[in-house]
Amino acid sequence: MLKISNVSRRFGDKLAVSNVSLEIADGQMVGIIGRSGAGKSTLLRMINRLTNVSEGTIEFDGVTVSALRGKALRNWHRDCAMIFQQFNLVPRLDVITNVMLGRLNHRSTLMSLLQIFTEQERLMALRALERLDIASTASQWAQTLSGGQQQRVAIARALMQGPRMILADEPIASLDPRNAKIVMDSLADINRESGMTVITNLHTLDTARAYCNRIIGMAGGAVVFDGTPDELTTDVARQLYGAEGLQDAFSEAMTSTSLEPAARPAAQRRELAETH
Amino acid sequence: MSSTTLPRRDAPLSNELRAVHEHYRGLLRTRRLYTVLGGLGLLVALGASLWFADSSNAGEFFDRLPYFFDFFIHFQPDEPMEIVRALFDLPSPFADGSFKYDYEVGRVYLSGDLYLPEYFYQMLVTINIAVISTLIGLVFAFALSFFAASNVTGSRAVRFAARRFFEVLRAFPEIVIAGMLVAILSIGPIGAIVAVSVHTIGALGKLFYEVVENADTRPDEGLRSLGANWLERVRYGFVPQVLPNFVSYALLRMEINVRASTIIGAVGGGGIGEVFRLSIGRDHAAKTYAIILLLFVTIIGIDWISGALRKRLVGQSAFQFGG
Repeated sequence: MLKISNVSRRFGDKLAVSNVSLEIADGQMVGIIGRSGAGKSTLLRMINRLTNVSEGTIEFDGVTVSALRGKALRNWHRDCAMIFQQFNLVPRLDVITNVMLGRLNHRSTLMSLLQIFTEQERLMALRALERLDIASTASQWAQTLSGGQQQRVAIARALMQGPRMILADEPIASLDPRNAKIVMDSLADINRESGMTVITNLHTLDTARAYCNRIIGMAGGAVVFDGTPDELTTDVARQLYGAEGLQDAFSEAMTSTSLEPAARPAAQRRELAETH
Repeated sequence: MSSTTLPRRDAPLSNELRAVHEHYRGLLRTRRLYTVLGGLGLLVALGASLWFADSSNAGEFFDRLPYFFDFFIHFQPDEPMEIVRALFDLPSPFADGSFKYDYEVGRVYLSGDLYLPEYFYQMLVTINIAVISTLIGLVFAFALSFFAASNVTGSRAVRFAARRFFEVLRAFPEIVIAGMLVAILSIGPIGAIVAVSVHTIGALGKLFYEVVENADTRPDEGLRSLGANWLERVRYGFVPQVLPNFVSYALLRMEINVRASTIIGAVGGGGIGEVFRLSIGRDHAAKTYAIILLLFVTIIGIDWISGALRKRLVGQSAFQFGG
């Protein structure tokens, strides 16, 4: 179980995350929503320890993660795999090697530096790629792949880490609706099949509603909503996004997992057309 | 826990996966072969050049090693304070009218009794050569590097001309150009400035255009898509991207140029190098050590200043990590 107690993070004199306390039980699929600047990314990065906490503690199964250092910290990075908005692969390295890099924390440094991987690791990587339906790209450079394919490579790499939970920071914000759906389906499958905790930051309400069994709403660095998708009423959404942002939050045009065309009110479409 | 996430290890491979696996193994074999061949080639080249160096040398390296410190034992000032006196042009108690102790003669008077010691003045002459040459080199290398980069300039002819131009300029060592110019421009810093500038244009130009070629072309594509002309694309698509690396290379070049203009001084370019050659040639130990001390402090100071300058120009964000 992940336990976040009174965690804050300051950047200079700006408070990015303010006194957040959460308990996330194993196996949950959690969506964190809120407008940009609400502190979602910072919270996720603090869980993985890419960013340090300013105040408070983060615990996982009784271990104080927020105080780990050195080897123990690197093991923690391995245990909670991170998926990024911009994929963060090594662009000039082939896909299968990118995936095998997920094993780095498990292997001898010398063999890794010489880029020598075992037959077993290669097969493991190929199977992870096949699971995400992109095995045929294995020998291409990662930078030659489309965004959706790259994100799937990133997920395959995360699986190779043998993680205990997966954190995803806006995993579909730079993808088209079809690829967004594939990526979110993969994360949901992993959650369902392995019972692994998945915590993902999302821009849009409909994606969170469709995939997550628990939704956490953040605004101004604080948690303002924590409940099931059913409990997320329009009033709560208005509080999260503000009156003018609400339209965008519900809109499927921004980034959506739905394949239906964006259904904007005709009046607004006309308004847009006139201003341009 | 991963065993439940990934398919089982002993599960049979699908046909597609087996094909991909075979293909990748083939690629890997080829790559390993080239790596081994490349490594062997490197070893052979290293062995051959060491053998060549050894056979063309008089082969006295180990014979001469015991005499390593002889120079320093014989080459000593009358007392340690003499070095300080030589450095600050103070009168020497050993003065006998010879050049060896004429420290005060070199004083450069600024006003009244206020003077700049000779070696500080000469050091300024040298630093001045380095700074001016770096600036001249920077301006020309900056302007021309974009014509040499294949992702900016489409015309092969223009690229060819720009690259060969850089090559010719950097083909001659500074000291050779300076030696030729001494005959034309006579002894002094002007010849040195020309010599160091020429080499700087060639060296910086090559580094600059390689930086430009490594730049991400997506910003440029964006600018092309909105109708920007060539100059505008260079200005906004490339310059902001390559500027931090340009600054690093230019500052590194300035450090190199301080050393280069010191050496050129020794062949008649003026500055600290010239007085160093004179003092070591005339066996004036105190003066020589004073100059070495000054050079040492100056070089460290310049490294430090250029590091601080780079931080300022490139911006703090490039140096932050984690946190």
